[in-house]
Amino acid sequence: MEVFIQQCINALTLGGLYALIALGYTMVYGVIQLINFAHGEFFAAGGYIGVLLLGVMTAMGLMESAPWMCLGVSLLLTMLYCAFLAMGVERIAYKPLRKQTRLAALISALGMSIFLSNGMMLARGPLDQPYPLEYSSGGFEFGLITINNLQIVIWVLTAVLLVALNLLVFRSRIGMAMRAVAQDKVMSALVAINTNRIIALTFAIGAGLAAAAGIMVGLYYGSVRYDMGFVPGIKAFAAAVLGGIGNITGAMIGGLIIGAVEVFGAAYISGEYKDVFAFIILIAVLYFKPTGIMGENIDDTRV
Amino acid sequence: MKKMKRSVGVVAVLAVALMSGAATAETLKIGMMGPLTGPYAADGNDIANGVRVAIEVINEAGGIEGFDTIELITQDTACDPKQAVAAANNLINDEVVGVVGAYCSSSTIPASETLAEEDILMLTPASTNEMVTDRGLPYMFRVCGRDDDQAPAAVRFMKEALGAKTVFIVDDKTTYSQGLADGVAASSKEMGLEVLAHEHVNQGDKDFSAILTKAKAAAPDVLYMSLQNHSSGSLMAIQANRMGLDAAILSQDAMFHPNFINVAKEAAEGVYVTFGYTDESTEAYKQFADKFSAQYGDIGAYAIYAYDAATVLLNGIKQAGSTDPAKIKEAIMAMDFQGASKQIKFNEKGDSGSSYIAFKIENGEYRPYWHPETGYYQ
Repeated sequence: MEVFIQQCINALTLGGLYALIALGYTMVYGVIQLINFAHGEFFAAGGYIGVLLLGVMTAMGLMESAPWMCLGVSLLLTMLYCAFLAMGVERIAYKPLRKQTRLAALISALGMSIFLSNGMMLARGPLDQPYPLEYSSGGFEFGLITINNLQIVIWVLTAVLLVALNLLVFRSRIGMAMRAVAQDKVMSALVAINTNRIIALTFAIGAGLAAAAGIMVGLYYGSVRYDMGFVPGIKAFAAAVLGGIGNITGAMIGGLIIGAVEVFGAAYISGEYKDVFAFIILIAVLYFKPTGIMGENIDDTRV
Repeated sequence: MKKMKRSVGVVAVLAVALMSGAATAETLKIGMMGPLTGPYAADGNDIANGVRVAIEVINEAGGIEGFDTIELITQDTACDPKQAVAAANNLINDEVVGVVGAYCSSSTIPASETLAEEDILMLTPASTNEMVTDRGLPYMFRVCGRDDDQAPAAVRFMKEALGAKTVFIVDDKTTYSQGLADGVAASSKEMGLEVLAHEHVNQGDKDFSAILTKAKAAAPDVLYMSLQNHSSGSLMAIQANRMGLDAAILSQDAMFHPNFINVAKEAAEGVYVTFGYTDESTEAYKQFADKFSAQYGDIGAYAIYAYDAATVLLNGIKQAGSTDPAKIKEAIMAMDFQGASKQIKFNEKGDSGSSYIAFKIENGEYRPYWHPETGYYQ
């Protein structure tokens, strides 16, 4: 029983991280029907910028006195950086292709993904970049069960970001504009919505969430590497499809389910087929219910 | 028209002069293959740099008679068997005399088959799987140790030095990591160490919480961690430490890399690693280490074996006075010298012997801890 609860805790942590990444896929798909395969690279870039900023703050001696504030500042700056990075990528790689076939943009996305990950390798080398481990040192123990401080941080941060995103999309004017652009770009432009700006903003928000996940992964696992975006990116994509691509609530649920399937699959069936479980789900969903759990096109919740 | 004829004549004379110049300026080409990109890029680049240092040392000692320059051609295998065969074919087209590589046993084995068709020598600095030299290829040599020596050494260490009764084995399913883990499981049975479980994870996984939760529940004396790469190893060590796993952690040669400690930090403390013993007080080691660290920084696990492999190849060519593989092989088989890594002498299979001891990580350094013959180090 204790082992089961521990595995639930593991699953919730992993699932939350997948959910944060999956949201970026789903939002971009909702607005311009593009699977942004470079999205995993925003996640990796977040991890890299995070380790750089924390390194600078350590060098300045701020880590000693206010470690959690350093983390908060790094998190904000990293999210901001990746938001701008995503807007740049959108401008260079996707916007010129918006009137072309969807395949052209998809190939451009794959190219951008390879470009960004190799760019990170050239800039920072092929070795893992170590993260400070101080944040993950404390925690709680109940018998065999351990909950790490950082796991709690991940849960809280994930929850806060998810709520904030929901408020933004469903309760604000910008969110309304996003939903409008998702439904009909021409019509939105006619009612004076700046569609280009809304699309750029969608990329920025998605990348910001992925960047937050990137820092959390770096802190939780202790290191980041230039190619870290690929596998989580694909799994988050599976999560987005599972939830119903284009659907925000679906992406959150999908992320949690993929995390749970992986952890329980590894725990109770076999560790070596961990990745297989996630992708079996992807194939099964595409085969039996391509619109996903929440449905692709429930007009109001689609962004 | 006359003027043009003359200029043609000048060009022709120049061309002949250049060609004859090329005929006297001989270039010796040797190849290196390993994972220069992808998850194992760090190890692959260590190997390439080790070879570069060996070439530098030979050049400083006067080079090789009959050749003006030694050219190194590097090929990326990305630790992928298919790409390794393509890399071998590229090196064949470049007409290299010998190849140092590859890193992953799963690359070395198919690549060596391709190179063998053209009688090109191959010296692996890092592939420890038994099959590398057990297939009877005439021109395959190995400078590092063998897994069927490493596995019993590891089990004896667990039993004799750690006094362990139970072990929990994890591998990540590569030819190397699973081969070694299977060897440890088999040796454990023979020597009466109980294997509580033998679990597998995937190459490149980041999250080991599910497997480690299982390990914690099984409460073994030792967690035997057989992973392809120090990058996954450091993540597993961190997570095991955080989860409060009581077991001692024993790992293998792939964890012998400075970045394992850089990433895992405190979690690396107390981790045991089996690796070939290198006497750092020899002249050969110092010569290598000074040159290497001045140019490339930290010395990775296999840089030193790559250096020795390239030295063996280049000295073989030098002593044979020929690029004929049979003659080079004869020269290599006659060698018995103190390399930077160990005393090097090849047996008929092409192996140069293993010297596995257990290291313990203490204060951020690998310290020799236990020798199978002489027991604990002081």
